Formats: sequence, C-alpha cells, structure tokens
Amino acid sequence: MPVVPTVNYLILAAALFCVGMLGVLIRRNALVVFMCIELMLNAANLTFLAFARERGDVTGHISPFFIIAVAAAEAAVGLAIVISVFRNRGTVNIEEIQSMKH
Amino acid sequence: MLNTPNFTLAEFMTVVPAAVLIVGAIVLMLSEVFLSTANRTYMAVVGLVASAVAGLFALNNAFEPARLVLQGFAVLDPFSSFMTVMVCLGTGLACLLASGFLKHRNAERGEFYALMLFAAAGMSLLAASNEFITLFINLEVLSVATYALTAFLRRGPRPAEAGFKYFILGAFAAALLLYGAALLYGATGTTRLSDLATALPGAMATRSGLVYAGFGLVLAGFAFKVAAVPFHMWTPDVYEGAPTPVTALMSVGVKAAAFVALVRTFLALTHGLDPQVPFALFSLLALLTMVAGNLLAMPQRNVKRMLAYSSIAHAGYLLLGVTALFVPPSAKAGDAGGVLAATPLLAAGAVNASVYKGILFYLLGYTVTSIGAFGTLAAIERREDETRGNTWDLERLSGLAQRQPGWAAAMAAFMLSLAGVPPTVGFLGKLFLFSAAVDAGLIWLAVVGVLSSVAGTYYYLRVVVYMFMRPAPADAPAPFRHWTTEVALVASAIATVALGIVPGPVAEWLSRAGMVFGN
Repeated sequence: MPVVPTVNYLILAAALFCVGMLGVLIRRNALVVFMCIELMLNAANLTFLAFARERGDVTGHISPFFIIAVAAAEAAVGLAIVISVFRNRGTVNIEEIQSMKH
Repeated sequence: MLNTPNFTLAEFMTVVPAAVLIVGAIVLMLSEVFLSTANRTYMAVVGLVASAVAGLFALNNAFEPARLVLQGFAVLDPFSSFMTVMVCLGTGLACLLASGFLKHRNAERGEFYALMLFAAAGMSLLAASNEFITLFINLEVLSVATYALTAFLRRGPRPAEAGFKYFILGAFAAALLLYGAALLYGATGTTRLSDLATALPGAMATRSGLVYAGFGLVLAGFAFKVAAVPFHMWTPDVYEGAPTPVTALMSVGVKAAAFVALVRTFLALTHGLDPQVPFALFSLLALLTMVAGNLLAMPQRNVKRMLAYSSIAHAGYLLLGVTALFVPPSAKAGDAGGVLAATPLLAAGAVNASVYKGILFYLLGYTVTSIGAFGTLAAIERREDETRGNTWDLERLSGLAQRQPGWAAAMAAFMLSLAGVPPTVGFLGKLFLFSAAVDAGLIWLAVVGVLSSVAGTYYYLRVVVYMFMRPAPADAPAPFRHWTTEVALVASAIATVALGIVPGPVAEWLSRAGMVFGN
C-alpha cells in the first residue's frame, strides 16, 4: 500500500487553517465563527500529528490530546457566553452585537 | 516498561505559588456551597490571603539560581518569579476591589474569586512555561477564567458582549499561536524552547519557510494577547464591558504574564534567524503601539475606555523594552558610537540586565497604578447608570475633590504615575525602561516613546482638572463605600508614591531579574 507523504497532510492542515481563519474574519453568525476557531485548532492538531508521524516522535502524538482537552474546556465557557448574549439580545449575529462603539 | 522521570522535590518549587492559588480557589468554591452566610466579605480576605502566601513563595523562588526544572518543561528563574509576585499583588488588590463592587450589585459569589485565583495560577505558570504545549495550556487556563469573569455580571448587555468579543478574539489568537508552534515543531522536532534554540540554526538551512511562518504566527498570537497595535481592536470594548475589578486584573496580570512569556519565547525563537527580522518586527510593533495607543486615548471622554487605550500605549512602552533585547549587534555598536559617543558603551550583557530590570519595574509600577486607577473608577461608578451608558463619563469625576478628597488625591496620584510625572513610580519605570533602550542603541524609538508619553499627559491631566477644578454637580450621588475598596485604594496609592520616592530595595531585587534562563 503506498504511504501518503507528509506534505499532503500539511496541505490539508493549511487549507483547514485558512478556511477557519477566513471564517472567523468573514462569517457573521457567532456559532459559525466559533466552529471556525475549532477548525483552526484541528489544523494545528493535524500538523502536529503529520510531523510526529514523519519523525516517529512521541511529543507530537501527545500534543493533540492536550489541545483537544483544552478546546473542550474553552467550548464550554464559550458556548455559555454565546447563550448569555442570546438571552440578552435574542440574536447571535456579530454585526448586531456592537453596543460599545464610540 | 514504564519510564518514570526522577524529579527532586526542589524542582516543584516553581509550581508552588500556582498550587497555593489553586487551593485557595477550591476553598472558595467549597465555601460558596457549604457556608450559607449572607456576608461574603470573608471571601475577598481568603483570596487576599491565598495571593499573599503565593506571592511570598514566589518571592522566595526569586532568589534561587536560574535553572531548568521538570525535564525542561518549566524554568525557575528570577524573571518569572518576580512576575508571579506582581500577579499575586495584583490579584490580591483586585479581590479587595471586587468585594465592595460586587456587594453593591448583589453579585458577590465565591466563584468570582475562585476564577480570579485560577486566572492568577495560569498567569504564574505561563510565566514559568518553557515548552509550547505547556505554554498553550497555561495561556488557556488564564484566558478561559478571564472570559468567564468578563461575562460574570449578567445584568445589562455589556458584560456578555465584552465576554463574547474577548472569547472570540482570544481563542483566535490562541489558535494562531498553536498553529505556529506546530509549524516550529515540524521544523525542529521539539516543542521545548531551550531545545528549539539549539535546533533552529540547523532547521533554518533546510526548512526556513516553516520557521518563518511559525515565527510570524506565534508573534501574531502574542501580539493579540498583549494588545499590540494592529492587534488591539478588542481591548477597548472588552475593558469597558468587563466588571471594573476584572478590567484591573486584565490590564495588569494578563498583560504582564503574556509579556514574560513573549520575552522567553522569542529569546529562544530568534536563534539562527537573521537578527534584522525580529528587530524590525518588534520595532514596528513598539512604534505603532506607542503612537496609536496615545492618539486613540486622546479623544475619549469615557474614562474607562481612555484607560483601556492608555493600557495599549503602556504595552507599547514595554514593547520598546522588548525591542531593546533584540537589537542586532551591528546596529548597537554603530548607534552607540555615532550618536552616544560620550556615553560609555555598556556590554551587551549589562544592557540586557538593565532591560529586564526596566521591564519588571515598569510592570510593577503599572500594576499598582492601574489597579488603583480602575479601582477608583469602580468605587465611584453607580449601578443605576449602567443602562444609560455614561457611567464612566468625565463629568462623573467633576468635583470629586470636594465630594471625596481622599479618593481624588489617590486618583490624581495614579493619573500622574500613568503620565510618568515624578515623584511617582510611573516616572521611575519610564526612566529605567527608556534609559535601558537608549543604552541598547534604540535612540530614535526612545525619543518617539518620550514624545508620545508627553502627548499622553494631556488626557491624564484632563481627569485631574475635572476632579479638582470643576464644581460638583448638585445631584452627585453619595458613593458606595466599603472598607475593602478603601484598603485596596490606600495600599496602591501608597505603593505608587512610595516606590516613586524610594525605589531602593525593590529596584535592587529586580536587578537580579537579569538572570533569565537560557540567556
């Protein structure tokens, strides 16, 4: 079976990262923006794993576990904040959440 | 076969302050559940005691020789230990401020103080981290706690909105930093900063693209965290919307911890790179941050928002200090020979030691001053004004000298210290920092720093003018007084003035901070 070269994984990760970054900058729905951030974190996970596989190094294999755990904790607090915004305003559209412009 | 590392007990000294803070936080959470009393002022005292004990442990660590501990995942050096002392000082004062503030709003709960202590533990560990995953986890520990604190008050739309913005941009910055770390891992095969420093020159030969991309992403991630222009957009909204004691903690603790982590990371990452690249990037960030921070603060009538922009400007002065660490050797010799011919040229090591001292003393001065300034705002803001959006207008401060002479005097001291007027700690901090930058050869950047801080005097003194030279409005409400608030304000006012007059022992201690591991 042919082995998939590392660079393919890296290109996929870079594409995921760019999609995530563009999503954060362009999309207006808070939940979609939130998902885009998760996409960026997963791009980092994939990069760690691809390099770890190439080098046969265990550090890169362990890192994604920590990142996934941290992302889960962050998601818990983040979603709670999104819910509190929704309760206050009845919307999660980022353009409507702008009461502090001076 | 399990490969268990051999740790000596002394290696764990670096995590003891954080452990004390975490124990304090757990005690607070349990007491919230099991002690049903209406008066929760004791919680602020518990928070203060935990911070004080942790601070004393950290102060003890600061006199240990700098070394790698815990298999190179963390360092024990005076630089990070002194930072932990400052974080503990800031957290203790912020706990005291929060007590009166929350009581006035019927929102005093144990989890508020617990979150503050968790955030402080994250800051302390972030300053000691020497490995990218450790650094990322600690950054998230402190960030997640501050997101929750920002959105803690559930009345009105502002706290939720501020928490939301902080969360989105903070998580975005963390993701940038992490992806950068992953690319650097790919280039070098390690995530430990001390190993990265040795592996980078070799990696530059084969995978320089990965190194530069990783370097840029990590820098952008940190620039968001320290609110450097052009990554500062979130700061004013978040600082304005967050409960004022939380804003105080954010402006001192989060920023100080991020600065220490930034210095440690980039001391390792610049090995093997063309020295002009980091120098140019940091100079540009410092220049933009100093100038834009001061210019944006000028038109603000909202004092809390003005202080948010002023904190950006202060991050710029600190970036000037950071830039002084990355002056390329040729530029240093050239400038010092040409423009500063009369000044004896200091050795690079001596310059770096004075830069570390400058950065730490500046952070210490900013800690006490900023806590005091936000604390005074927290003391005079009225819950009834929150929905109208003019809570922090300059008019609210008019005639404060007649209504509350003590508070007005303290606020005047804080404003003068932020502006850098002697005899306050802000003046000495700027003096140490700018003279260290000049010694390093950054003459033009230091001139821009001094000029922009002179421009900044305008908006600080305007606050003083309103307090002392405007009549008090007839319907000025009586302030909500609470002993913890007064204690915190008195303590930070005394520290602001006393450290400005006799910096002696503290400045002496901080000179030891030149002992940064790996430098």
